[in-house]
Amino acid sequence: MAIPISYNIRNLKLRKGLTVMTALGIALTVTTALFIMALLAGLQKAFKTTGNPLNVMVVRKGSTSELTGPFPADNFGTLKTLPGIAKNAAGEPLVSGETVVVIVLPRADGSGEVNVSVRGMMQNGLALRGGVKLAQGRWFTPGQREVVVSESIHKRFSHANVGDTMEFGKGSWQVVGIFDAGGTAYESEVWGDVNQMNSDFDRQGVYSSAYLRATDPVAAAALKNRVGDDQRLKLDGSLETEYYAKQTSSGSVIKFIGLLVAAIMAIGSSFAAMNTMYAAVAYRSREIATLRVIGFSRPSILTSFVFEAVLLSLLGAAVGIVLMLPFNGMTTGTSNQVTFSEVVFSLQVWSPWVIGSAVLFAIVMGLAGGIFPAWHASRREILAALRD
Amino acid sequence: MTLTSFVRKNAFRNLRRSILTVLSIGFSLLLLTLMMAIWRNFYMEKGSEESALRLVTRHKVSLVFSMPSYYREKIRAIPGVAVVVPGNWFGGVYKDDKSGNFFAQFGTDPDEFFKVYKEWKIPDDQITAWQRDRAGAVVDSELAKKYGWKIGQRIIITGTIFPTNLELNIRGLFTAPQPTQAVYFNQKYVEEAVPFMKGQQGFYTILASSAADVPKVNRAVDDTFRNSPQPTKTETEKAFQLGFLAMLGNVKAFILSICGAVVFAILLVSANTMAMSIRERTREVAVLKTLGFTRGTVLGLFVGEAVVLALIGGIGGSVVAYLIGMGAAKAGGFAGALHVKVATMAVAWAAAAFMGFFSALVPSYTASRLGIVDGLRHIG
Amino acid sequence: MSTATVPNIATKTKVIQARNVSKVFTRDAFQVKALDNVSIEIAGGDFVALMGPSGSGKTTLLNMIAAIDRPTAGELLVLGQNIFTFSDSQSAKWRNEHIGYVFQTFNLIPVLTAFENVELPLLLTKLNSQQRRDHVMTALKLVGLEDRVHHLPKQLSGGQEQRVAIARAIVSDPTLLLADEPTGDLDSNSATEVLEILRRLNQDFHKTVIMVTHDPHAASYAHVTRHLEKGMLLPA
Repeated sequence: MAIPISYNIRNLKLRKGLTVMTALGIALTVTTALFIMALLAGLQKAFKTTGNPLNVMVVRKGSTSELTGPFPADNFGTLKTLPGIAKNAAGEPLVSGETVVVIVLPRADGSGEVNVSVRGMMQNGLALRGGVKLAQGRWFTPGQREVVVSESIHKRFSHANVGDTMEFGKGSWQVVGIFDAGGTAYESEVWGDVNQMNSDFDRQGVYSSAYLRATDPVAAAALKNRVGDDQRLKLDGSLETEYYAKQTSSGSVIKFIGLLVAAIMAIGSSFAAMNTMYAAVAYRSREIATLRVIGFSRPSILTSFVFEAVLLSLLGAAVGIVLMLPFNGMTTGTSNQVTFSEVVFSLQVWSPWVIGSAVLFAIVMGLAGGIFPAWHASRREILAALRD
Repeated sequence: MTLTSFVRKNAFRNLRRSILTVLSIGFSLLLLTLMMAIWRNFYMEKGSEESALRLVTRHKVSLVFSMPSYYREKIRAIPGVAVVVPGNWFGGVYKDDKSGNFFAQFGTDPDEFFKVYKEWKIPDDQITAWQRDRAGAVVDSELAKKYGWKIGQRIIITGTIFPTNLELNIRGLFTAPQPTQAVYFNQKYVEEAVPFMKGQQGFYTILASSAADVPKVNRAVDDTFRNSPQPTKTETEKAFQLGFLAMLGNVKAFILSICGAVVFAILLVSANTMAMSIRERTREVAVLKTLGFTRGTVLGLFVGEAVVLALIGGIGGSVVAYLIGMGAAKAGGFAGALHVKVATMAVAWAAAAFMGFFSALVPSYTASRLGIVDGLRHIG
Repeated sequence: MSTATVPNIATKTKVIQARNVSKVFTRDAFQVKALDNVSIEIAGGDFVALMGPSGSGKTTLLNMIAAIDRPTAGELLVLGQNIFTFSDSQSAKWRNEHIGYVFQTFNLIPVLTAFENVELPLLLTKLNSQQRRDHVMTALKLVGLEDRVHHLPKQLSGGQEQRVAIARAIVSDPTLLLADEPTGDLDSNSATEVLEILRRLNQDFHKTVIMVTHDPHAASYAHVTRHLEKGMLLPA
């Protein structure tokens, strides 16, 4: 027979001070873990959701990113003629040769300078990225020294409003629009005309990458392989979605440090929870014996105390989650280790995965802290306990 | 017996609780010590005397852009510049693309490299051997130890940024004050294999003649190239390294918030323990007062007990942090920032004692104020 | 001897003079009179037993003499001093120097040995460790426990524990020895041992002993027995 849950709840209430302090300790640990998981979830969202599964991204063979080594523009002509490429409204192949460079921009809050990716693209580049919406102003005009910036760049950097001029390359660029990339990796970029960019960065005759829109998923896979297999091209193709998903590794340092910190704190908190539960068992020694005399079994005593510990840690988790919620959606940046430029992303606290892991994390702490004391409680001899 | 030994006996009266408390505080202080060590190494250490004399010049826009090779002679001509060598990030892959196999490879000029990195230790004959072999390389002795490399061994590094592979002969092993985990080779090797790298350099490392020359050289270099197609940004070696750290994100805020969480956690754990043990000893407090102990003495006894427990946890945690730091310093790179100085440990102890003191104040004060009659009646 | 602040106490001087002492507790809406206008005088060198049923106020009276409780009205002179004018730390010092207190439940500190328990009050004095050791051993010999010096309370019998508690009470050589049901938790043999010690302390060492008890056998050791009922002192 099980001991009712209300017994545990009342006991936690009875010793309010201890309960609150222990729960707060657990809450702090949960908050730390949540913060790190929210960071990682935000980063993952930025990369995982970037790209259209029909887009094939092409870079020079052996290169791991758009930044590392350009390929001759002549190859682009060959690419355009490959089978399986969709057509745009004008009936031309939906492809874009692009140039990606990294520039330095001052942060709006004056806390230093940050690397930002600048992407030069063909007019088709915008059509290839249908998910990206214009939020303010207009798109750049081909042949003009005009750029559009993402919303987060607009917020985080100075000189990034519509009408401002940015200084990079060989001169100034007019900001004509702000786009909303919906939290994807494009959220960290500045876009302009590829030919203008190439002449500013002395890259005439080369592209960093090319984007091809396939007609359907099967064609996309075929196109990808065809690019890689073509001996003349010396190029590699990958699905745009795959390319960005791989860059999630930029979070690996944060992940490593974060998990280490959370683990150390969790161990500390488990010990504290264990202390509280041992005290609970000691205070209730007679009570436990009485329950045994009434007829509750050792397993039900064990279960009841473990449950109480888990309840305590869940209380901590709840407090931790409440503490972290105001930070949901807060934007921050890290550096993309593939492109050396800043990735802007937002903290994802309120996601099932993050909340679920936090709760699980707390339960593990509760179990770690609760099992030994509960075992101790269930093992006590009835007579010895009654004499206490 | 003295009052101090009474405090000590009380601190370990409930051995299991004391151990759990010490462990809990110990783990928190381990973290706190490491965070303080990182902070100190990144933001407070000036670096070695030699490092303070070194400046790094890169393309103003980004490290990924190169500068012409002739910049080197122009920089050399600037008053206050003792030596200048080029550096080029190769970014190749050794064996496989796993982060465990990642280390830095730089192309440079073997003739003058060790004139800039004067404090790095390497036998002269090995430098000569490196200078004579176009495909030669010198590697950090710690890195060589990791892979079991020997002098004369050939290693192959696959290019990712540059379309070529390096087949390097290890000609020398150097020991830097802090492990670099890096391989240095002759940049001419890359220039020959990759046409578009000919006449281009990634960055320049400058050794200034004296500390007084550092700021002058810093300004003069950037002024020289201000109006050229490739303007430069020059900064001290330390600032250059911190720039990489800043790329990770807001590291300062991250460290501070973790320290804050840890400090609060310790306060809670310690206060919790003291609240439990004081509650159990309510009657004893009354007895002590009947024997003539004043409120102040009782307060001191309990606060002392908390300080003892926190200090033991603090010393344990910081010693473990020290050992971790020692291990990490061998790994080199940013892990070297975990190196814990004795002064940092002392700060951790003071912090522990301080937190023990504060956490015990409220429960101890309450206990010391409780009336004797009520205390004597207390059961449990 | 540390009675410097107190005038020489000759036998038959009044060491305790209580005048119209009252103590009222307020519990919720009720007012409980623990002591109701109690006046009593106790002479130096006396052995007084205070008797009465539970809740009659006898322990309250004892606690007031020890300066660990305060009256709501009245005046109490102990050793000629009005102890209710003392501050908290003054009364602590006062207890340390002049009062020895023995509890029903012994109240030894469980982590300390017999020796250390007895030494505890001396830690508050200026005695050095050798002087403390001499005092402690004298007190322990007096209660016949010199061979139990390094035992922890849990290794002692109830009677032994109470004897250690008496040693602790007399180690600072106080003028007054107060005992609250000292035999209440003991079997009759141990009780007799403890009562014999109290008698010796009174006869040979001229301690004034005030003992709260409800056991007539214990009370028979006293020279004077006074009864309390519902907070009032019955006429002698």
